[in-house]
Amino acid sequence: MLGLQILIDGFAISSLYALGATGFTLMFGVSGVLNLSHGSIMVAAAVAAWVFAGYLGGNPYLGALGGVGFGLIVAYATYFTVVRPIQRSKAIPKEETEIFVLTGTLLWGIMIQEAIAYFYTSNPKTVRPLVPGVVDLLGVRTPLNEIATAVICWAVIGLLWLLVNRTRSGKVLLAASINPRGVTLLGFELSNVYILVWTIYGILAGIAGVLLAMFLGVSSDGVGALTASAFSIVVLGGLGSVSGSLIAAYVVGYMETFTAYLISPAYRTIPVLLLLVLVVYIRPQGLLGRR
Amino acid sequence: MFGRLISSRLTWIALVLLVVGATLPLYVTGYILGILTLSYYFGVFAMAWDLLFGFAGEVNFGPTFLIGLGAYTAGIINANWGWPMAACVLAGALMAILGGVLLALPALKLRGPYFGLMTLVAVLLLQNFIVIFAGVTGGEIGLTVPDVLFIDDSANYEFALGFMVLSGAILFGLSRSPIGLILQASGQDAVETAALGFNVAKHKLAAFCVSAFFSGTAGALMIFYLGTASVGTVVDIAVGVQVIIAAVLGGRRTILGAAVGAIFLILAGEALRPLGELSTFVVSAVALAVILFFPNGFIGSLLRVGEKS
Amino acid sequence: MSAPLLEVSGLTKRFGGLVAVKNIGFDIRPGEILGLIGPNGSGKSTVMKLIMGIERPNAGMVKVEGVDVAGWPSHRIARHGVGIVFQHSRPLHRQTVLENIKLALLPDSLIRLFADPEVESKAIAIAERVGLGSVLHRRPATLPFADLRRMELAKAVARDPKIVLVDEPFAGLTSGEVNDFSDLIRGFRAEGRAVLLVDHNVKSVSALVDRVKAMYLGEHIAEGSAEEVMQNETVRRVYLGGAITTAARPEATFKGNEPLIKVDELGVLYGKAQALEKVSIHVHEGEFVSVVGLNGAGKTTLFNAISGLVPYSGAIRWEGAPLAGRSPAAIARDAGIVQCPETRELFGDMSVRENLDLGGQHLAKAERLERTEWLFELFPIIKARQPQAAKTLSGGEQQMLAIARALMMKPRLLILDEPTLGLAPVILEQLSKALEKLRQTTSITVLLGEQNVTFALPHADRVYVLEHARIVWEGEPGRFAKEAGAGLL
Repeated sequence: MLGLQILIDGFAISSLYALGATGFTLMFGVSGVLNLSHGSIMVAAAVAAWVFAGYLGGNPYLGALGGVGFGLIVAYATYFTVVRPIQRSKAIPKEETEIFVLTGTLLWGIMIQEAIAYFYTSNPKTVRPLVPGVVDLLGVRTPLNEIATAVICWAVIGLLWLLVNRTRSGKVLLAASINPRGVTLLGFELSNVYILVWTIYGILAGIAGVLLAMFLGVSSDGVGALTASAFSIVVLGGLGSVSGSLIAAYVVGYMETFTAYLISPAYRTIPVLLLLVLVVYIRPQGLLGRR
Repeated sequence: MFGRLISSRLTWIALVLLVVGATLPLYVTGYILGILTLSYYFGVFAMAWDLLFGFAGEVNFGPTFLIGLGAYTAGIINANWGWPMAACVLAGALMAILGGVLLALPALKLRGPYFGLMTLVAVLLLQNFIVIFAGVTGGEIGLTVPDVLFIDDSANYEFALGFMVLSGAILFGLSRSPIGLILQASGQDAVETAALGFNVAKHKLAAFCVSAFFSGTAGALMIFYLGTASVGTVVDIAVGVQVIIAAVLGGRRTILGAAVGAIFLILAGEALRPLGELSTFVVSAVALAVILFFPNGFIGSLLRVGEKS
Repeated sequence: MSAPLLEVSGLTKRFGGLVAVKNIGFDIRPGEILGLIGPNGSGKSTVMKLIMGIERPNAGMVKVEGVDVAGWPSHRIARHGVGIVFQHSRPLHRQTVLENIKLALLPDSLIRLFADPEVESKAIAIAERVGLGSVLHRRPATLPFADLRRMELAKAVARDPKIVLVDEPFAGLTSGEVNDFSDLIRGFRAEGRAVLLVDHNVKSVSALVDRVKAMYLGEHIAEGSAEEVMQNETVRRVYLGGAITTAARPEATFKGNEPLIKVDELGVLYGKAQALEKVSIHVHEGEFVSVVGLNGAGKTTLFNAISGLVPYSGAIRWEGAPLAGRSPAAIARDAGIVQCPETRELFGDMSVRENLDLGGQHLAKAERLERTEWLFELFPIIKARQPQAAKTLSGGEQQMLAIARALMMKPRLLILDEPTLGLAPVILEQLSKALEKLRQTTSITVLLGEQNVTFALPHADRVYVLEHARIVWEGEPGRFAKEAGAGLL
């Protein structure tokens, strides 16, 4: 019974991690940016959903939509006010651009986190699930919402796969992650490619944030942990590899769930951290990493 | 070298500031002295970080790993075994150096963002470690240390000021010495530096140890000033971020700029306290603006202007 | 005859499956200058790195005064008496010239807080010897290119090494500066040092060296005096692609037409180095123009300037209007100037078909399919490899794919940069046939940059020769052999 519980809970949380990590690694693979404000964008979207749901009389669907939309706006703000100016700055030597982007996005994330705490306090917020009710899954009482979360995550990942592999813009995106110079030579503006990747990223982070709010709830205090877990998953899976992140998300999700159930929820993140240290020492490029 | 030092404008400005700083207790409240005392320890954190980044070219995203190791080692030994403060501080410094060596080894092999990640992971592990072994470390509540440096505000202030000035002098001197030149070269172009006959790995390891020594010592001294050690003051990533911001604000690769940045940051944080939760927001926003528009920081920009003329 | 200062034997280095250096051996005696030459990919730079310890050899010996240093870390080898001047200057940007040179004189010590007083005077002496006496307190950013190179020489000889390695000693220097540097290097010889000069071609170092050793694809192909190596058949074939013959072609009359693209007094600076100087070329619509020159002459820079990838001075006009100000992607897409670079820039993880489709993204679906079919006829090899990932193709197949992909864009001007680099003769044949067919069946305009003259000449209507950043000859292929061919090497 416990094993089944772990299986189901682990699956749901891993799917959520997978969604968030996919956006994070896509961002790195295509534009080389490690966005340390990732967690704050997710929480911003989640809190926005909570706010919208509140104003619109508790309609979770519209709230979710509003949340995702807000997440997208915050993502654009991150790109245009922080990342792009740093990348284009003539005052920063090229070798240090990455460090400045990391520090800049970190600061931006703190700003968003504090702003959320200021306007809406750091108390945890939940949004009413899209699909209420409980169902008996192989003898385990599982909230329908949990199943819906996993389904939605995979549906979105599936849509992303279709986008990247079957549409023209998607293929250009994929090509840019392999060889940006080649994309320019074929007449595609890289600046447009970057805007596309930030759009996709904003939507993915937004959906992940809103789903998290419906599943476990979010708080502005949790921003750091969300960024840290996305970062860990992406490094384990291999920076820039989407399939690597998907696998790593499940490894991390299940390791956390096992630890939470069998040892203690407080120690949840420790085995993952130890694994991370091991991986960085022995195989820094992760499971399927390229860059 | 001494000739240039004495005639340099920087030296005179520093001396004036030193005199002003040393005499502050005569006409300033204990409250302000307390804030400045804290900022002086922060200054040493930031200067130690700048030595590693500005000179050895290594970005440490978790300086609080080294600071926390020093602080907690000293605190635990003092609280559980009652050793005298000096011995505890020394033990803390040695532990921090050990931590520095552990960080240095992968740094010499890892490329790009991976080393930065390692430093972050180190902090998270330390944080978890402290929380788990709460019996010894005091966990999330914190650790109370029986000994304190001084009771008197002025005495604490002068001690901290003296410590910062001494550390600054040593670190600055190192940066301007032949060793500093070799370090800068190692950080900028390891291949060429090796081709010139220098064991880059040895020098970078030494840089890590020096940075760790000062971080750990300052961390240990700070908790003996505060009387407590907690994750929130010496380990949390947020504290580490503040250290980095201080060094960047002041100007990378200037050492002294890092101290200036730290003092500014702490004072600004206090000045903005009436804003409540927004104070962190404002400080982060200012730091972000500095990064975007003045990437060379305060002192760095001043020096640039000097160079052009 | 004194014992050699540097003895290299059986030196071998593999990078994965690629053998970059195979069984290379040579000696250099005190007071001797050896020139090591070879085209791109010959392994000459790797040999230098192996001697200096920047790469570790898989096999072989490197003896410095009788001591085998192969496999030692570079700082140990440096302290044992070897100095190196890299191809690209590597100054410390935040330090003055004097400080840069002082660094080279410091001991490798962790505890020395103060430098020996003589370090300063020694550094000044070295600076003056190489001609930097007047700029001691300036920072590298303010120095001209030649002075940066002087500083590299100063650093390399600061600790009195017995062996000096110099990579491309004269690249980017004016003829006056070349003379100065030659004198400095002769000075090293006079002091009894052993000097190894690594370069792309014999001509530039022939006046200075005592002996030359030529390499190709990691192996030794010739050794002897400079004249002997320049005349050596294998060497000439490797560089020029064989005897220079020109096939009969239809007479093309372009005179009188306005050129499609006109490059005027083009200048490009890479950092401080003058990569192109007052280069003027033009191409008419339908014309096939070859730009011939050795590696490092500036062909790629010229093409990158046209494609908008590097900043330049001077003017580039396309159909009468200036190209400046347009983004590289716009130049490729709107103007129709498509470049197939030396590095090919394929999407390795994507299939052959996907690479082609991306090239045809700007076309309507029907036209794209039609064009793909046409390209499969032109390059039958890649048709069979459609579903394979591009990185699994052989070198020749990748080159054909790169050209095919560029052609998918319906270019008005196709720029090909060194398509034959590293390809086997059989593939060259196929490529040549494809280009011939292209010329005959379409009115495409082509600008070809090549070191392999045998490949570049048969298709060309006109030829430019680019040497050390300048155009030194222009004319019809028929006259090339007589007028410019001999001097190329």
